[in-house]
Amino acid sequence: MTAQPEASSPAPVPVSSGIGKLLIVPSLIGGLVAVALGIYGRLHSPTGVVVNIAGFTSAGYVKSWLATIATVFAVVQVISALVMYGKIPRVTAPSWIGMLHQWSGRIAFLVAVPVAVNCLYALGFQTYSTRVLIHSLLGCAFFGAFTVKMLILPKRGLPGWALPVAGAVVFTLLVGLWFTSAFWFFSTFGIHR
Amino acid sequence: MKLNTSLVTLLTGLVLGAGVLVTSAVWPSGTSAAVTSPGGAYGTTSPASPVPAATTAAPTPAASPSPTVAPATAASTSPATATATATAPATAPAATSSTRQADVPSMADYVSQVKGGGAAVAISVHGDKAVAYICNGHAVAAWLKGSAVGGTLNLTGKNGAHLSLNYRKSFAAGSFAADGTKYRFSAPLVHRVSSVLRPPGLYEATGVVHGVMIKAGWIVLPNGSQIGSVEYETGFSVLPTAQAPVLNLATGTAQYDGITLVASPISGVTGSGF
Repeated sequence: MTAQPEASSPAPVPVSSGIGKLLIVPSLIGGLVAVALGIYGRLHSPTGVVVNIAGFTSAGYVKSWLATIATVFAVVQVISALVMYGKIPRVTAPSWIGMLHQWSGRIAFLVAVPVAVNCLYALGFQTYSTRVLIHSLLGCAFFGAFTVKMLILPKRGLPGWALPVAGAVVFTLLVGLWFTSAFWFFSTFGIHR
Repeated sequence: MKLNTSLVTLLTGLVLGAGVLVTSAVWPSGTSAAVTSPGGAYGTTSPASPVPAATTAAPTPAASPSPTVAPATAASTSPATATATATAPATAPAATSSTRQADVPSMADYVSQVKGGGAAVAISVHGDKAVAYICNGHAVAAWLKGSAVGGTLNLTGKNGAHLSLNYRKSFAAGSFAADGTKYRFSAPLVHRVSSVLRPPGLYEATGVVHGVMIKAGWIVLPNGSQIGSVEYETGFSVLPTAQAPVLNLATGTAQYDGITLVASPISGVTGSGF
């Protein structure tokens, strides 16, 4: 749950051209995504108007549950990645592990998107408390970092640590987001719909 | 090949985000339809519950919410009860402890629909005082008051009606109980968008109709729809509660049975009504 504000640009800038190019451009794009989200959240005046879904008392709970779902799938991400990399003793990767990893990631991301839009549109980038500031920074950084991960994913010739580091950063940011939002929300207002 | 799938994921997210954004943007202009909890704006649904009695009693002199609060009602939750100071020292019970102070606004307005009842609730916090109104446009109408301590409200109304609430900047959640029935709600902070229309929030008006004192309350929701009730204060034990006339958000007035009601806002942010 450590704050890693600009985690989206961790490019190591190696002098050798190949690897550098592979990582620098995606990192720059990811950084732009993060900054753009932050600027939008800061400049757009929050409306407070949110779409609610039947069965929930308000959008705050919708968001908290969606964020929790995304975080659960993110945990699946880490476990499936560990299995794929053979890091869990005596567990050999089953054939479907790649599929599980891909789809859990996609679902986590797609579930997180409406939450982020809601946050940015209705609440904006805020700084009125430590929690809110950290959450705002993490939120922007998360989508930047995720963009980097998606952009470098298909590249050949990446150093071996690149994807694990990118994945770890994305996961850490998401868990930090969850703790500064849904966890806080549930513990303050109670766990229900 | 793999390039496609991960780019597709990103683009799908982008499209989804744009879709949600557009939906949010057009949301306020529509009526509070389908997707919100059942019973959008006016009392098309009936909560079918025995709440109305909450309002039907003890005639009061039709006053606006006055500071004659029973502070002892806050005693049930917080150890530092009735000594509520204006800055509300952070002594809230459960929940997390850090960043509490910065998160608790000293002045705030919240409005929300109530889950599953076709009712709406408005809460206004001004310093250490708070006022809430809950109504459903016909049978239910309850005014509640109390003190605000450390981000927690415990408000009481007539006939044992009780509202408890945790509030923070940008959000509040709690429950309203009357006659043994409990309704849950959570409400975003009301944002004051500059407009010629009256902003979302709580409004009240009093008047005399055929010699009977009436008190009307309206809750204007963020999407522009409104829910209001009128209470007759006849002095009898059974007081009818009726649907309030439409509050003209441009003029702040409403026509009711031949008289013009002039609504005044109750806002914790501006302090009006406190």
